[in-house]
Amino acid sequence: MNDILALLIPSFIETLYMIGVSAFFTILLGLPLGIILVITEKNHIMPLLKLNKFLSTIINIIRSLPAIILIILIGPFARFIVGTSIGTTAAIVPLVVAATPFFARIVETSLREIDSGIVEASISMGATPLQIIIKVLLPEAMSSIVLGITITLINILGYSAIAGIVGGGGLGDLAIRYGYHRFRTDVLIACVVLLIIIVQITQFLGNSLAKKLNKK
Amino acid sequence: MIRLKNLTKIYKKGKHEVTALKNINLEVSKGSIHGIIGLSGAGKSSLIRCINRLEEPTSGEIWIDGINLMSLNNKNLRNARKRMGMIFQGFNLLWSKTVFDNIAFPLKLSRLPEAQIKERVISLLELVELSDKANSYPSQLSGGQKQRVGIARALANEPNILLCDEATSALDPKTTKQILTLLKSINQSLGITVIVVTHEMDVIKEICDYVTILEGGEIIEEGNTIDVFSKPSNEITKHFVESPNYLPKDLVDDITMSLSFMKGSAKIPIISKLIKEFDIDVNILSGQIEYIQNEPLGKLTIGISNISDNLDDIISYFESNNVKVEVITNE
Repeated sequence: MNDILALLIPSFIETLYMIGVSAFFTILLGLPLGIILVITEKNHIMPLLKLNKFLSTIINIIRSLPAIILIILIGPFARFIVGTSIGTTAAIVPLVVAATPFFARIVETSLREIDSGIVEASISMGATPLQIIIKVLLPEAMSSIVLGITITLINILGYSAIAGIVGGGGLGDLAIRYGYHRFRTDVLIACVVLLIIIVQITQFLGNSLAKKLNKK
Repeated sequence: MIRLKNLTKIYKKGKHEVTALKNINLEVSKGSIHGIIGLSGAGKSSLIRCINRLEEPTSGEIWIDGINLMSLNNKNLRNARKRMGMIFQGFNLLWSKTVFDNIAFPLKLSRLPEAQIKERVISLLELVELSDKANSYPSQLSGGQKQRVGIARALANEPNILLCDEATSALDPKTTKQILTLLKSINQSLGITVIVVTHEMDVIKEICDYVTILEGGEIIEEGNTIDVFSKPSNEITKHFVESPNYLPKDLVDDITMSLSFMKGSAKIPIISKLIKEFDIDVNILSGQIEYIQNEPLGKLTIGISNISDNLDDIISYFESNNVKVEVITNE
């Protein structure tokens, strides 16, 4: 029992670290990207059709690549960004690259749900494009964006299991190394149970927060 | 004063061009309530949305208090928009904000100090009689209450002009009446010029001093509401203002007349005098009195049987009494 705990605790912390840092950068990059995707559309507040098309294509390309390929491809890039291409920190780079386009699409969908009349009313009140983004689009879509963040977190958790390839560690990695390669079924089960608990808690918190924010 | 000069709006859909507005010239005098009415597709919504450039006109000029809105850059246009309130058919309130914050929203955009915002919102809440709903969310309000929030929000920046784009079209008749009464009282107490776009004739009758009738992107008739209603000169306008008056064929006498009583003539016993003076028999076929801005407008269809050759005298008798006559032939 103690040896399982000794294995689980560091892996659990690695997983939380990977998800936390990845999620932070994913939101930091994905939120503005999603906003740009919406506002640069035709008939929105800052129509820039070519930029829109360009970003959309890039996002589609990244999203077409399987996570495992992305992690290998991104190795050299990770070394450039965080100084190493292996280890938990290095794993964060491909996680962010994989999750950002996904999250950007989710933000895009959330913002599109807002009735165009509300944006129009804001324009009629003399709001600047920045004011419309910060005071109208984001607050109106916040409940839906929170749900999107929840989905993204759980997605990153899934990707993080693959991060074992670059020595990323974490629960997924532990489950494969001990549970699969060394036939330690008890470790495998413990990892899976822990992963299920993380997902359940994340989804529960996300749902409650989204419900609280939804005034519609 | 608002003056539109040669305003044209053309929508391009691929290779197709749709002309929504053709060379519109329109003047709206300060402090009036001006109605714009037309069937759907007539261009009335495009027209009102061009006034604050929500819709960019293809060509033309928009003069408001001596400034041509078409000549303004983005920043100055935003400032000009703050002097115009707008309300919408779908209310367009922010779902995530309380009634209080919805009304405070335009003031926050203008970066007013918090204390001033609070004071202003409280007085606006009183004006629209929603003080008890300050902390409710729009989803908890009825349609009429939502539109009153919309009106309070539109008035927050103390505008000179209020644009109403089908503002009552989503409301039931009773609520419509309440909103119209509110608009009228705002117009009178604050002296705000109100432009109302609608497809409902009753809205025009109820509150508008002037009316412009649009058809196919062009103005086909305009004038004082009571004049346009009592003697519409255009065929399409007639169709609009007159409730269709179908008479069964066997009811139509030798001479059937449609009479419109205006300018106080609805209060004089004209028919009774007519019978005595010309010694004829009058058969009343249909009749109604409408009130346009509290002025009565009577419509009466009569049949005259034992008429001699004094038809012209009868017509001039009516006309001297401010009654418009139209002789309906039996066909």
